[in-house]
Amino acid sequence: MHISDGVLSPQVWVSGYVVTAALTAYVLTRKTDIAELPKVSIVTAALFVASLIRIPLGPTSVHLILNGLAGITLGLSAFPAVLVALILQALLFQHGGISTIGINAVILGLPALAAYGLFAAGTRIGIRGRYAIFGGLAGGTAIALGVLFFSLCLLTTGEHLEDVIPFVVVAHLPVIAIETIVLGALAQFVARVSPQALRGFRPR
Amino acid sequence: MEYPQIDRYAGLASPIHRWDPRAKLVAILGLIFSVVLITDLKMAMVGLAVAILLVLVSRIPFRFVLGHLAGVSFFILPLSVIILFSYHQGDEIARFAFLTVTSGGLEHASLIAVRAFAAVILIFPMISTVRFDVTMKALERLRVPVRLVRMIMFTYRYIFVLIEEVQRMLRALTSRGFTGGMNIRTLITTGKLIGMLFVRTLERAERVYRAMLSRGYEGNLQTLVEFKMRKTDLLKAAVLIAIAVALNVL
Repeated sequence: MHISDGVLSPQVWVSGYVVTAALTAYVLTRKTDIAELPKVSIVTAALFVASLIRIPLGPTSVHLILNGLAGITLGLSAFPAVLVALILQALLFQHGGISTIGINAVILGLPALAAYGLFAAGTRIGIRGRYAIFGGLAGGTAIALGVLFFSLCLLTTGEHLEDVIPFVVVAHLPVIAIETIVLGALAQFVARVSPQALRGFRPR
Repeated sequence: MEYPQIDRYAGLASPIHRWDPRAKLVAILGLIFSVVLITDLKMAMVGLAVAILLVLVSRIPFRFVLGHLAGVSFFILPLSVIILFSYHQGDEIARFAFLTVTSGGLEHASLIAVRAFAAVILIFPMISTVRFDVTMKALERLRVPVRLVRMIMFTYRYIFVLIEEVQRMLRALTSRGFTGGMNIRTLITTGKLIGMLFVRTLERAERVYRAMLSRGYEGNLQTLVEFKMRKTDLLKAAVLIAIAVALNVL
């Protein structure tokens, strides 16, 4: 779900930069203590490395996106974490593009915040298996919303990019399922092994 | 799982390597943004030629660049093929069963692909000719918000540590008989693996943070790199910016 350079219309990627700059500035200056940055960064590195793990799928393999996990573990800081991961992916591995860093951060980062809200609200309900259920839901929803935003970008760019949307959606259906199961198992495991970790260090 | 090695060739000697990193970043970023704005296929081709020329001047082996283009190709090639068959404008030039290719479709699909590859190839003269930590220092000097740059630096540093950790965990799994087939079991095990990585990472983060505090960390970093801007640095930047403008104006 990393849009590369040279595809989107300038209106779309420029708005991506505007939204990303505003949200990142808000979270990093208002909601983060500069002394806490190393901790947030190390978790970002863990998310980056975990997304390099490849999951077999038919004749090929897919990698995890884990923007939902970013939301669950980092809360609001998930947005700058997603941004930093995308910058590093573009610079180190040439996944995505330079002009699209902003819009890609919106596509993956806003769903990460939604996953945070969903998980935080859901795990307050006192039902059995709530971590597995809401961990999975948060993971799946984050990808599904990402696909939605991705499609909207293609649609607003126009120039027949909208013809690509059905392919994008179909290609991501297995990813939604995979990410739901992986995050469900993950949240339940962490809740059992180290419950305080799921509260993590979400900034205020 | 491979280590990032984008700055593997930072030790070579070339006019691009000798260029002040600040001027280099600004000029090549300018060129990248100019390339993605091009609407004319011929100009996009010129942009691609400029990108390849810069890689040649930088002496970075082209094999290394090609090896890094998989991610972009995986995204761009299917996308341009779909556009090739769906964008109908101008003369029909080919027909396969129910699919037709028109001259307008071919031009539009090529424009997207050429812009994408030109932009991505430009990353190499910009990033691969300097050590990554020096690039970050240059970003800081260029007034990119310091908190963001710090976060990128810390994250980059810990990617190497955590890749090692994940490889160790995967080796332990394999030695206990984990095969990683396509089934639910694999997904659940992967979830637990990442969960464990995350729990350990939190503990590591706390340890690292305390160690940093005990050495006097207050949010600032000291590095030994100093930059010096010479006339030739500015000249090189001026030439590339002129090309960037020309690509969209001519």
